[in-house]
Amino acid sequence: MQYSRVEKEFFFRLNGEEVRVRAPPGYTLLEVLRHILHLTGTKDGCSSGDCGACTVLLDGRAVHSCLTLISQVEGREVTTVEAVDEKVADAYARHGAVQCGYCTPGFVVATAYLLSKMHNPSDAEIREWLRGNLCRCTGYVKILKAVESLAGDDG
Amino acid sequence: MKSLSYIDVFTPRSLEEALELLDKHRGELAVLAGGTDLIIQLRKAQQKAPNLLNIYMLDELRYIKHDNEIIKIGALTDFATITESPIIQRHAPVLAEAAATIGSVQILNKASIGGNIVNASPAADSLPALYVLNATLTLRSKTGTRKVAIEQFYKGYKKLDLQSGELLTEVSFPAMKQNQIGMFFKHGLRQGDAISVVNGAILLEVLNGYVKDARIALGAVAPTVVRATESEKTLIGQRLSEDVILKAAQACLTSISPIDDVRGSAAYRKEMCVNYLYMTLWQMMRMVNL
Amino acid sequence: MKQSTTWVGKEVVRRDALEKARGLTKYASDMFLDNMLWVAACRSKYPHAVIKRIDVSRALKSPGVVAVFTHRDVPNNRYGVFVKDRPVLCDDRVRYIGDIVAIVAAESKEEAEQAVEEIVVEYEPLPVVSDPLEAMKPDAFPIHEGGNISRSTRITFGNVEEGFKASKAVVENEYRTAPQIHMFLETEAGFSYIDEKGVITVVAGGQSPYRDHHEIVSTLQLPPEKVRVVIPHVGGAFGGKDDVSVQIYLALVTWKTGRPARFVWDRDESTIAGTKRHASIVRMKTGASADGKLLANDVEIIYDTGAYTALGHAVLDVAIENCNGPYKIPNIDIKAWLVYTNNMVASAFRGFGAPQVMFAMEQQVDQLAYELGMDPIEFRLRNALKRGDVMVFGNKLETSVGISQCLEAAQNHPLWRQKETLKSEKSLPWIRRGVGVAAAIKGFTLGALPDRGSVAVELRRDGGLTVKGSFTEIGQGVVQAVAQLAADLFKIDIEKVEVVFADTGKTPDTSVTSASRQLFLAGNALKKAAENLLNLIREVLTTRYGQKVIEARFENGYVVGPGFSHSFEEVAQMLEEHGLSREVVGVYDVPRVEPIPGSLEIPHLFYMFGATLALVEVNILTGTVTVPKLVSIADVGKVVNPQTLTGQLEGAAAQGLGFALLEEPIIDKGILKTTNLSTYLIPSIKDVNEIEVIPVESFEDEGPFGAKGIGEIGIISVAPAIANAIYHAVRVRPKSAPMTPEKIYWLVKQAGLTVK
Repeated sequence: MQYSRVEKEFFFRLNGEEVRVRAPPGYTLLEVLRHILHLTGTKDGCSSGDCGACTVLLDGRAVHSCLTLISQVEGREVTTVEAVDEKVADAYARHGAVQCGYCTPGFVVATAYLLSKMHNPSDAEIREWLRGNLCRCTGYVKILKAVESLAGDDG
Repeated sequence: MKSLSYIDVFTPRSLEEALELLDKHRGELAVLAGGTDLIIQLRKAQQKAPNLLNIYMLDELRYIKHDNEIIKIGALTDFATITESPIIQRHAPVLAEAAATIGSVQILNKASIGGNIVNASPAADSLPALYVLNATLTLRSKTGTRKVAIEQFYKGYKKLDLQSGELLTEVSFPAMKQNQIGMFFKHGLRQGDAISVVNGAILLEVLNGYVKDARIALGAVAPTVVRATESEKTLIGQRLSEDVILKAAQACLTSISPIDDVRGSAAYRKEMCVNYLYMTLWQMMRMVNL
Repeated sequence: MKQSTTWVGKEVVRRDALEKARGLTKYASDMFLDNMLWVAACRSKYPHAVIKRIDVSRALKSPGVVAVFTHRDVPNNRYGVFVKDRPVLCDDRVRYIGDIVAIVAAESKEEAEQAVEEIVVEYEPLPVVSDPLEAMKPDAFPIHEGGNISRSTRITFGNVEEGFKASKAVVENEYRTAPQIHMFLETEAGFSYIDEKGVITVVAGGQSPYRDHHEIVSTLQLPPEKVRVVIPHVGGAFGGKDDVSVQIYLALVTWKTGRPARFVWDRDESTIAGTKRHASIVRMKTGASADGKLLANDVEIIYDTGAYTALGHAVLDVAIENCNGPYKIPNIDIKAWLVYTNNMVASAFRGFGAPQVMFAMEQQVDQLAYELGMDPIEFRLRNALKRGDVMVFGNKLETSVGISQCLEAAQNHPLWRQKETLKSEKSLPWIRRGVGVAAAIKGFTLGALPDRGSVAVELRRDGGLTVKGSFTEIGQGVVQAVAQLAADLFKIDIEKVEVVFADTGKTPDTSVTSASRQLFLAGNALKKAAENLLNLIREVLTTRYGQKVIEARFENGYVVGPGFSHSFEEVAQMLEEHGLSREVVGVYDVPRVEPIPGSLEIPHLFYMFGATLALVEVNILTGTVTVPKLVSIADVGKVVNPQTLTGQLEGAAAQGLGFALLEEPIIDKGILKTTNLSTYLIPSIKDVNEIEVIPVESFEDEGPFGAKGIGEIGIISVAPAIANAIYHAVRVRPKSAPMTPEKIYWLVKQAGLTVK
């Protein structure tokens, strides 16, 4: 069976800039970011919403870009790891929370989201908020330390 | 995973327009709400995916209201909003508890209560809570509005009382009374997010230390969520005691018909229903008898 | 000899960390080239079938399709490191559901996917052999010519029957472990293109660029100089990228079409077609004397290699070598089989055959200690190997042996000292607590097999150093470790050390990044390179000064000797002036002995040791086991970077926890049912609680600055420690991993435990 490609034009804000992109309306935001815009900080770990590597902020809220169609993004604001406050990434790096690094951008975005909701999360709260981000390298110990180091930081 | 490059997506700007489109393309469109289940299903399916009606933009379907002792939730309301809502925390804490376990923070931010209901997974975590809350669903079409009790909505495994052209727009239920307590439980295979092996909700109305009314709903143990009516009967009229809660827990076996799957055997599911009911009732007993 | 160091031992933040965290690092899956073709695979529909016919004509006419390749396009269609039993593209048969029959190259992803559906493959299904015990039977349906035993061997020392006769306690059990899936976050991925010199360049996640290179040129029969393999930062490997995955297909497409290509497996493809840890059946009969001396171990090891051998022959050797634990046992009899089935292919996974046998042995040892009424750690200490001991295989242990120190650290740990208090602490009526211990051993380097590594060091004109080696950065931090080792060996600021890695076009062959060997290999090769550079400099200075320069050393970014001091910049210039290369090569051959009869690589000369303590909570009404605390103790020789070291051990502990409790692939007649991360559950941040790491520095003389390998040791004793803790908590022995809630529930129920 051959299906022909459908394309439409979409407008949204990406990392503070207006973006106009032609894409199939059934494409996920993750596909648009990576395959069309080649903005590859957002990673594709499972395309099923199970690993969190593709986490982005949609109107300021953490969502899976693999479970968001570009059609759902029209007119909204998307923030990817590339535009997240660098202090989060820096905390991950300094605390040794980065090994292979493929899950890290998703963690960084999820962490930025957590800190936008809660300034001083407890250990248990950090675990709750990051439970949807899987890391296979670190055992999470240093990830927890990295996030703790950011807690209460008003800067 | 396959890309859905060949489908079209219609994005209405209002509910009226959505119902119009749904009417015009009867049976041809799948409704895209949060999309957290639908997108995976479509990308993994062997057959061609249908075109979509994207209702995600319809903010008019996002609300939580407390109206005359009735709680009304717009079908597009996401689970993060539900679990954080002061109205839900106060008047339906059992739903707030269930909503928090639907999935990761990312899922909670996107998945909608309407989507969870219509997706009709027997393991859906919001459903047992909605069952014990006696939720009513509002279904709208171009031609009218229909209300159906949640228990009547499911006719079998993924079989719904939903006509083509109809859209689920609202979930409503009576606010919990002062003397009602509710608890949700879920058995997953890890501490982090996991699809439920069994889940359930218990709602007890307690008067002077006696159970006046009991509602128990169990998920992932039958083609649809089921009420554990024998367990309920065992509790009604009784004071909660070790003996009573154990009997009530064991009585659930007449209501369930679990199957084997990758998450567990039918035999294990049966035991888990009994044991989770026991553990949950034990905690409720402590709350009541304090 | 211990040397003073500036960088080795220091906690230095990894140089690759910030870029990775900001999403700026380009992995193989992040590259999109102009004019690039998308590759998709047509995989087997059956676990086992004869291929009657392959018709690609409709696929070729499908929109956007540029090429479709089948076995006819592969000049030498069999590959494999030990046995060439694996087709690139299946010709006569398919042997598991990950097998690839054809690949499509098209202008877009969707066009490639749609064309795959147009390929017609006619199959004649064959009996599916999914149970290794069935597969071993003489009348089993053969999956390969020559039957279903890929390798079998028997190794005996002493006389086990006499050992059992002299034993006070003898325990006999059968253990099973499931085929753990690596589940690295980046799936198998790569791209390819023809570079400006006409070389087919394959950039893909892997562990061994030269081996991948060899597999490409041998299957496609290309001149070696026409192929280059580059391995950029890899999004996790753990052994799962030790074998080739996308590489040969990418080279094939680019070779035949002349165009760049991209081939990235999706998560389902990765779980189905990627390699696994071998599922195991291990039977053990173990005896000990009344005074707690291990006397005999009679062992049967059956490992399911799935459809192909991959690295299984070596994995089986590691199982054999480590199945006796880190103990002296005078009488052993080990029979081992590597068996073909129509299941997923098994190969390397962190621990490489050791975790399965240690799950068995460390429960045997625990049980013996209980039966003899001894403290489990005391019992282990009585039998622990020491330097100078003759090991079970008759080899003398002449390198560092830190097992006693590891066990003593466990013995002195509060978790162990307070285990009975912890056990009796009140909590919910259905919760039981327990503490368990297990020890670990594993050889590192390639044992008795030839094992050589080279690195090149270029003295740059700016006075800095560029270290070049084919080690791969799979997340473990080897680039950082190499930089620290180089900075200390050449006495230079670490900021001046650049590291170029894993590129057959630019880096010499440091051989495979596996077997916890890369730090040891690269470090020792660097040592040689430092000596060679110093020799070269002495020669140049001798010519320059007209008198023999005997003494010269590196110091603070300078080369100094009696009466001279030259900056690295000056030295670089001098080398050029004398027409000499600014690059030296260091080659290190790992010392080894002859393999014992019946083995490929036993014994190793070098071993890692470790121990794990686990605190568990068992819910007797659900079977759920949680682990509030793990203590990972490892003999690391010498800590190179405390941050990367603890990171490796914490990560290994978490993977071990997954192996112990969660990770259960469900395979139904050769079909994997758990193909994604919602059905195959790996530990989340809520599953991993406190992990304490205790490094033991036993100082290995042969290692760079005393260091040993650390990549694998941390995973090996986790599952048995948890199993032993479960025993302490509820007095049942879980003999099947993962110890899922359902398995534990039935065991506990059978044992008649009830809520207090």
